[in-house]
Amino acid sequence: MVSKKKNFLTFQNTIFNLQKYWSEIGCVILQPYDLEVGAGTFHPATTLRSLGPKPWKAAYVQPSRRPTDGRYAQNPNRLQHYYQFQTIIKPSPDNIKKLFLNSLSVVGIEHNKHDIRFIEDDWESPTLGAAGLGWEVWCDGMEITQFTYFQQMAGIQCNPISVEITYGLERICMFTQQKKNVFDLIWNDEGTTYKDIFYKSEKEFSKYNFELANTESLLTKFEIFEREAKNLTIHKLALPAYDQCLKASHVFNILDARGAISIAQRSGYISKIRDIVRGVGELWLQDKY
Amino acid sequence: MSEFFLELFSEEIPPNLQISARENLISNFTVFFEQKKINYNKNYSALSTPNRLIIYFESIQNEVIENSKEIKGPNINVSDEALKSYLSSNKITKDKIFKKKIDKGEFYFYRVPKKKFKTKSLLEENIPDLLTKIRWKKSMKWGTYDLYWGRPLKSIMAIFDRSILKFNYHHLISSNKTFIDKNFEEKTKVFRDFKSYKKFFYNQKIIINHNDRKKYIENKLIKITKLRRYKIFIKDKLLNDVTNILDRPNIITCSFDKRFLNMPKELVISTVEFHQKFFLVYDRNSQLINTFYVVSDCPDTNGLIKKGNENVVDARLTDAEYFWKKNKSKNMIKQVSLLDNINYFKGLGSYLDKVQRLKKIGGLLSDEFLISKEKVELACTLSKVDLLSELVNEFPELQGILGGYFAEAQGFDKEICESIKDQYLPSGPGSVIPRNNYSIALSISDKIDTLVGFFGLNIIPTSSKDPYGLRRLAIGLIKIIIHNKNNIKLKDLINFSCQVYSAQSIKFNNKIVIDKLTSFILERFKYFMKEKKIRQDIIETSLIDFKLDNLLIIYIKAQKLNKIINKEIGVDLIKNYKRSFNILNTEMNKIDNENFSNVDPALFKSNYEKDLYKKLHDIRKDFNNIKIENDYDTQLSLLSTAKQEITNFFENVIVNDGDEDIKKNRLLLLKLVCKTFDNYLSFAKLETTK
Repeated sequence: MVSKKKNFLTFQNTIFNLQKYWSEIGCVILQPYDLEVGAGTFHPATTLRSLGPKPWKAAYVQPSRRPTDGRYAQNPNRLQHYYQFQTIIKPSPDNIKKLFLNSLSVVGIEHNKHDIRFIEDDWESPTLGAAGLGWEVWCDGMEITQFTYFQQMAGIQCNPISVEITYGLERICMFTQQKKNVFDLIWNDEGTTYKDIFYKSEKEFSKYNFELANTESLLTKFEIFEREAKNLTIHKLALPAYDQCLKASHVFNILDARGAISIAQRSGYISKIRDIVRGVGELWLQDKY
Repeated sequence: MSEFFLELFSEEIPPNLQISARENLISNFTVFFEQKKINYNKNYSALSTPNRLIIYFESIQNEVIENSKEIKGPNINVSDEALKSYLSSNKITKDKIFKKKIDKGEFYFYRVPKKKFKTKSLLEENIPDLLTKIRWKKSMKWGTYDLYWGRPLKSIMAIFDRSILKFNYHHLISSNKTFIDKNFEEKTKVFRDFKSYKKFFYNQKIIINHNDRKKYIENKLIKITKLRRYKIFIKDKLLNDVTNILDRPNIITCSFDKRFLNMPKELVISTVEFHQKFFLVYDRNSQLINTFYVVSDCPDTNGLIKKGNENVVDARLTDAEYFWKKNKSKNMIKQVSLLDNINYFKGLGSYLDKVQRLKKIGGLLSDEFLISKEKVELACTLSKVDLLSELVNEFPELQGILGGYFAEAQGFDKEICESIKDQYLPSGPGSVIPRNNYSIALSISDKIDTLVGFFGLNIIPTSSKDPYGLRRLAIGLIKIIIHNKNNIKLKDLINFSCQVYSAQSIKFNNKIVIDKLTSFILERFKYFMKEKKIRQDIIETSLIDFKLDNLLIIYIKAQKLNKIINKEIGVDLIKNYKRSFNILNTEMNKIDNENFSNVDPALFKSNYEKDLYKKLHDIRKDFNNIKIENDYDTQLSLLSTAKQEITNFFENVIVNDGDEDIKKNRLLLLKLVCKTFDNYLSFAKLETTK
């Protein structure tokens, strides 16, 4: 689906091509999860589905929010909201590296014309009680993808092992479209730019995250979500309980951006969420669904 | 004799894991061969690329012969029952055993016949076990398999004497072929010997030997730099990292916009070398220029790789520049109070508390160094402000350095800026050591405050764990003191630091802190002297009267002694001391409580005693002469002047006289000899050389 007018893939065509590619590999193509999350990994299609013995293949775009990374739209590389394309396969296939390298060619990166490197990057999410080993994949010195074999999720050892491939869509398109500023990315064939779509929201959300978010009410919200999550685990409802964890996690991220959480308190909040996620993971495994 | 080689093909293994796996594997194999008494020649090695771990032995014995031997069984009086079970557990029949008398009585024996083992079958049997014995610092599982490896292991090629070694390892079966393309794992090729294997890859410009690869990259970098008449300073760590993340090195010359050279050079170095693992280039005057080398893993046929890498560096430097411009002019003084929002460490207050403590310690040191107290206090106050900046958040490895640059940009005095930059120095082995007194004052204050704080909380490094890098801090203190010949009174400083904590209502058990910290620093000091190649017995002996306040003097004395220890003067000194010391040691109880000043000249019977006594008196008098107080060479040669008198004494006087009083008097004279030597430093633990 390379655009005929231009010599590169638009942002949306990059997404279409990845969806089509992984669909052909047999993945369920999901839509983004409808809650604010920090990364594609938080989608229950990854966290919860990576637990237990049942095989699973899925791919989806996930809008990801990182309040602390906001720069009021003034930085060419930093955004508080961006897109990840996530592929999760359980058990990890033996030929996953080949599948991944082939997927790069559908987004316009011919692996034999570029210097593709697998650089050690072991991944850990204290909030999810998750850890994995893998790499960040470099293309001519730019990190374009995270490639991780999950070893642990929700504090539970994974068996079999899932592999997670997370593409940074903006980075990939900046590379293929040869743009130095993320806001100059071309979204579609009409020439709509990333700036047209996101400039205003980056500015406004940066202001909200850093300056205006009401820390008092956020702290209260955190407690409410936490209580709700605990109550739902008592009633053995894994998915609704997990949703509350995601909400609590996002509230925590905004509080963090507001500088309302000291380093000493940090680990306390994180471990509160992690403990509930662990409970959710256990519930998920009990359920034979 | 046959060639053996093994290739373990996997997805990309990180540099550190590669290095430790190489070391582990080669030692597992050599230990195994030695246990089995299999001979091999010296030409063996463990090699690696990110995807291939290779074990190679040029020449190994094909067969081992285990000689026949007699094995002792139970005593002949053993019950039939017990004998039966002995036979069955050893899988032998009764006709195979025989009786034999030995010292302890008569026993059953049996003879194990001479056996031949084929090395090939021993390897096939044992390789899986040798592989399992690799101690990965981090390992993982994948798919549905149970195997733990650094990264997914895909194939095993094992060749002995040109043919396959057959074995299973978890879900994998060994073979004589391997994947020749590391990414797609499709094409395979059969190999029979190491030479053709190496050559096959060499023809594709893949260097499988990491040592050769490292040399290749290094030589190329130096060569192209020389051609341009520039300079390059290759850091070994960077070169090692680069060597172990590729197998087909190719050097591409790139550049970045010159305007980035206006930023602190550390930002450029950190971005290009530390984060991107590229190499920077300097001009003839060793000034950074806007050229860098990328070592890519493939040739750059149409210039895309060069362009891509330049774009990445440009984006990263733009990012750094953005924060640099934003942060540098933010008023540092106004930010100090914000340090109260950052927790330094649980139980040790905030960073504001910390800088207030540093101010006190720094102030004390400024008095001692006779430098401006005001400047030192200001430097202490500003020292941690950079922690509030986005730039340090992005480049945590540059904290301190960036603070110094901010201070520079805001027009603070040079000494203040320099000392903020230098506060964390020395940062490791080979690191620069602060030289000027302002830097020393801040650096020492910071280290003392940290050490006292953590020891106060009883967070003390163990043999394997030192998460807060306290050892490095203690070594840093020692280095600063020794290299600057600055006899700082550490004990006083630790005491003072405890009081400063106490004034902030952070209470420690001061005595325990001092005791534990003293022995901690003592251990580091020993290690430091060892590194400086001071002989072990000199280290031991110099620490007999260890005082934390005397580090510098102890070190200088030990070092001077070390210099002469193998020369005639040194050998004589020790010999003379030891002769006296050994006699005293055996007769210790007789004069234990007696002061050596009680030597009674009236009891001397010979001139030898008188001469020695007089000589020792002269030496002791000279030792008190203020002129040689800090002249340790003269002190040593002064001690050596007693050589003749001591030799004469031992050759002509018998200490063990029939008259108890005379004997005691002579012992006291020997004690005087030792005590005189001990004025330099205690010689008690020195060992005589040959």
